[in-house]
Amino acid sequence: MKKLANYLWVEKNGEEYTLIMTPELQDDVGTVGFVEFTENKTVEKDDSLLELEGSKTVLDLTSPLSGEIVAINEKAEDSPELLNSADPQESWVVKLTGVDEADFNALENV
Amino acid sequence: MIMSQLERLDYLISYMQKEKDITVTVPENFDAAFEVFRGLANERPADAVTDEFIEIQDAFLKEYNAEDVTDAGLLTEAADQLYLWQGDITTLKADAIVNAANPDMLGCLIPNHDCIDNIIHTKAGVELRLECARIMEAQGRKEAVGRAKITSGYNLTADHVLHTVGPYVRDGKVSPMKADLLKKCYTSCLKLADQQGLKNIVFCSISTGVFGFPKEAAAKIAVDTVEEYLNNANSELEVIFNVFDDEDLNIYRKHLI
Repeated sequence: MKKLANYLWVEKNGEEYTLIMTPELQDDVGTVGFVEFTENKTVEKDDSLLELEGSKTVLDLTSPLSGEIVAINEKAEDSPELLNSADPQESWVVKLTGVDEADFNALENV
Repeated sequence: MIMSQLERLDYLISYMQKEKDITVTVPENFDAAFEVFRGLANERPADAVTDEFIEIQDAFLKEYNAEDVTDAGLLTEAADQLYLWQGDITTLKADAIVNAANPDMLGCLIPNHDCIDNIIHTKAGVELRLECARIMEAQGRKEAVGRAKITSGYNLTADHVLHTVGPYVRDGKVSPMKADLLKKCYTSCLKLADQQGLKNIVFCSISTGVFGFPKEAAAKIAVDTVEEYLNNANSELEVIFNVFDDEDLNIYRKHLI
């Protein structure tokens, strides 16, 4: 199941929620040249997930959901342009658990 | 010894020329000399200066900036807590003015460039760039769109400057994200102003200059966001919308009714 929030796709697989760059976000940011993930393990809604510097803008990307960060796309730290990929396997940002399902259900459908 | 304004300019220009290893005769006409000073100050990196330079620069700018000052506290309300004022933002006496910065947040580096970032840094003095450089060094990366930072106003008639980077719009196409980011610029500044206990804040039309945000849409976002914030936060901040030309004045007037 997939939702849209804070210009990210939110994909639910069981208890795990993967946040993925949308084409619209990729277009607004341009080619990503630098990323720095938050060092926090838990995030509240609208807390910063990562800072990214693209060819078109410098952006503080925020989380549409509260939860625990269980994985970050570490490959994107070395190869930030992966976040421009059309393949969600490459352009995902973080994975969250401990998300309130009702919060997820309230997000906009894709 | 009391120096005249032209003598001060002469000193400041010579100082900055010496730093760059150039010598050009300083114009005798005041306005022409000021433009030479401005250009050199704009290009000058965030390097330390002597106390004497600061002293003479501050004396010069204090006197220069004291002309045609408008007290933001004495304006007439356009709506509850909201004000509209046309003119040069650097001539307002207020708790804070908002600067439309860029992600490097060091002020405009293009000599004599006609943008708000340039004139604010010019009239504040070199101290402003030095403070911005310290902030950016501590942050260790560029400033993201939609946030706000506070500095002193130094020689400006405003006590503080809030620096925010607005979204950049190409070909007039405003994506939902860019509209949200412009909104975030306003809320970030308002929150920061309240945290700092400021009484009033002066907004320029963020993103509508070289950043290309359509003026009409930007003004609507500006007014709506400020009204929403003041209501939701029960804030007592007085908010002044500063416009430069008649076109902006008419656009804001429409939204403030």
